[in-house]
Amino acid sequence: MNLMIDLTEPQFLWALLLLPVLWWLSQPPQPRRQVVSAHLAQWQLAMRALRRRPPRGSWLRFALLALAAIGATIAAARPFVPATDGPGKLVVLLDASASMAVVDGDQSAFERARDKLRATLAALPEHIDVTLLRCGGDLRRRHGVAARQCNDLGQPGGGLEADLVQLAEQAQTDDCVVWTLTDGQGQQQVPAVGALTMLPTAGPNAVITAVRVHDAWPLPTLMLEVDVVAFSLPDAPLAAVLQLSGAVTEPQQIACDLQSSVAQTVTVSVQRAVTGGELLLELQLSGDRLPHDNLHALTLPPLPAPRIAVLAEQDAGPFAIVAAAALADEVAGEVVALEAGVAAGMLLVDGGFVALQAANGELARRRVLTFGTRLSPEATSEPWLSPAPIDWSRSSPLTRGLDLSELRIERAWRNILPDGEAFLWWVDGDDRVPLGVLVDAGETASVHFAFRLEDSNLPLLPAFPQLLRRAFVRSYGQTETSIATPSVSPASEHDLSAPAAADDRALPQFGSQDVGLARWFVCAGLVALAFRAFVR
Amino acid sequence: MARAFTMPTVRNPFSAEFRALLPVLLSTRGKIGAGRIERLRARRSVLSQSGTFVGHRRYELGDDLRHIDWSAYARTGELFTKQLEEEDRRGVSVMIDLSPSMLAGTPPRRLAALRLAAVIAGLALARLDGVSIVAPGAKEPNRRFSGVAQLPRLLDHLDKLPVATTTPAEATALALQAEAIGRVHWISDFAVPHDFSLPVLSLRRRGAKVFGWLPAVPEDDAPPSGGYLRVIDPESGHELAVPVDRAFQDELRGQLALLQRQQRRMFAEAGSQLWRWAQGDADVPRLSDYLPIVAACAR
Repeated sequence: MNLMIDLTEPQFLWALLLLPVLWWLSQPPQPRRQVVSAHLAQWQLAMRALRRRPPRGSWLRFALLALAAIGATIAAARPFVPATDGPGKLVVLLDASASMAVVDGDQSAFERARDKLRATLAALPEHIDVTLLRCGGDLRRRHGVAARQCNDLGQPGGGLEADLVQLAEQAQTDDCVVWTLTDGQGQQQVPAVGALTMLPTAGPNAVITAVRVHDAWPLPTLMLEVDVVAFSLPDAPLAAVLQLSGAVTEPQQIACDLQSSVAQTVTVSVQRAVTGGELLLELQLSGDRLPHDNLHALTLPPLPAPRIAVLAEQDAGPFAIVAAAALADEVAGEVVALEAGVAAGMLLVDGGFVALQAANGELARRRVLTFGTRLSPEATSEPWLSPAPIDWSRSSPLTRGLDLSELRIERAWRNILPDGEAFLWWVDGDDRVPLGVLVDAGETASVHFAFRLEDSNLPLLPAFPQLLRRAFVRSYGQTETSIATPSVSPASEHDLSAPAAADDRALPQFGSQDVGLARWFVCAGLVALAFRAFVR
Repeated sequence: MARAFTMPTVRNPFSAEFRALLPVLLSTRGKIGAGRIERLRARRSVLSQSGTFVGHRRYELGDDLRHIDWSAYARTGELFTKQLEEEDRRGVSVMIDLSPSMLAGTPPRRLAALRLAAVIAGLALARLDGVSIVAPGAKEPNRRFSGVAQLPRLLDHLDKLPVATTTPAEATALALQAEAIGRVHWISDFAVPHDFSLPVLSLRRRGAKVFGWLPAVPEDDAPPSGGYLRVIDPESGHELAVPVDRAFQDELRGQLALLQRQQRRMFAEAGSQLWRWAQGDADVPRLSDYLPIVAACAR
């Protein structure tokens, strides 16, 4: 221990030369008058009778006063114990990769690392400059007090993107010590410089490495392709179970016979719940040390589940109502009457008039499927008897792959179709007159036919249900519903069987800071003054 | 830390005014008593001028003419005075305290003490046959004087007495060395009465009649009026810083009164008497101030 004391401003010690003055000032006042008396004893007896003491100087009182003055003088000279050599900075590299979530006992490796950090940093001298780098997942840097408190470190996750070896070698200097806390997973080697704390996480592990979703939205069918892999210390077959639960009409459990380190793809088809929600995929493996990467959750939006309103002319026949009921049944919707105050997601109109088009020709954005319906009161429609031949688009999403060659129309109406993408035409030489158009308005779309169902054999064609379903799907726009698939932990965090290993290395001795002693000298002076108050 | 202080001095205790007053004082009718045996012998000596011849000494001015040995004058042509044994036995002893404590007071108590010794010794020279000055610490601690003619020498002797630190026991021992001791006049401040108790008793046992004389100074009764004082004991050199206020004055006055009672009690217990004499104006001595001494000596 360095007990050498240095002074920052030694010139203040000259003030000690004033001690004789202090001695002179501390003396009691000297009487100015002198009396020679043979009766000194009587004077003393009189003093004693009155319980008085003669003013007199006291060596002890002066010694205490001098001690206080010396203490104050030395404090003014700012004494200090010089610092000892050693590093003054600490850089902590904390591995927060997914593998650090391995639970051993009641704590994960990451929690053990955080507790050890807190305990060690709390014991560090305040002058040590601490920087904490959370490596793994999102890189976080904490400095100073925030680093010492180890707050806001989050949870382990993601891959170890940073090269701990390179980081440690770059950060390590004469004045800076690197302390790495890692489990060694996903690394070829651990840092060879600085302090090192290894947190063992080796063990069997099963992982869902990828999830691919094939969505038929707004239809409820959902196809999942789940890539799974298992790692075990002894390479032996592993019996795992893939469980799907949550926002599906019926939970499923699929047994998987996995080979260690061999990826497999499990294909599952489920029916989504109408209300949507969270679809949980969990790969269950006995003895799995890292269950966090076995669990995936897909957030499914609710299905449209439309309320389909039907409006049909009295002589239009039952086709519209039947078609609406069949469609509602297929998409888990319902048919509602078109009345005031009743909300409907889709309107199916057969014949008649519906005010959807303004005078300027702009069409209201509604999910509407019309058959021979006038959209504007100003529209002057003319009957159009037996338009033939009829052709259809092979590329339109509505009619692609459908066979409409048997379509016969007895009567259609001219000038009732809005502007849109035609997919059905009457072929007049080189001209094509639309008989069916798709009006795409982004999130909504409407499909309009120039003829009533009653006036054609379309309801009787095999392609009609498919055309109806496609019209429904298309009316919900072309924007695909996206089911976000959660990110999976990187492959480097999957295999917990072969981490890089090394022995722990303790932190070196840090350099000390200049320790100021001025306050202690001030305290000593004050104590001396306090004692002096009690000394007579 | 004690500061040095200047000891008061007594210069020229026998001023011209005192020397002029002294013959007048001695010429009064006052008597001075001696011891009983010695007084009878003295009366016989006066009436018959008899006594045991022990020798001659040269005549000095003031010697009784009746003691001149005319036969020796006829033989030698010089005047000799006959020394009779009875002379020495008619005298008194005057013990004077030369200690530094006698320098206290304004004027110093020593001045009054020397003048008091001069008056008592002068009366003894004038009325009796001799006086012994017992001054412990002096070069001649026990010196005899006889005949009024030796009064100047007596005064000179008293004037030259030094300041000396002695104890009452030493003074008593010195007085007892005299072959015969009758009446003893002890002049002191008796500052510590207890120290004088045994010496006075020892004198009484040897048949001496002791008269205590305490030359009074104003400070014996009235403490200083006030202020912050440095009180010094001239004997020991000890000193004391004292803030004097009314309460302290009252207390000190009580202590001084207690001291005076202790002094009187000490002499009373020894069957003696203590006379307290204040000399008055030291610069202008008056006869009335000294007559109480003559009156006291006649008792």
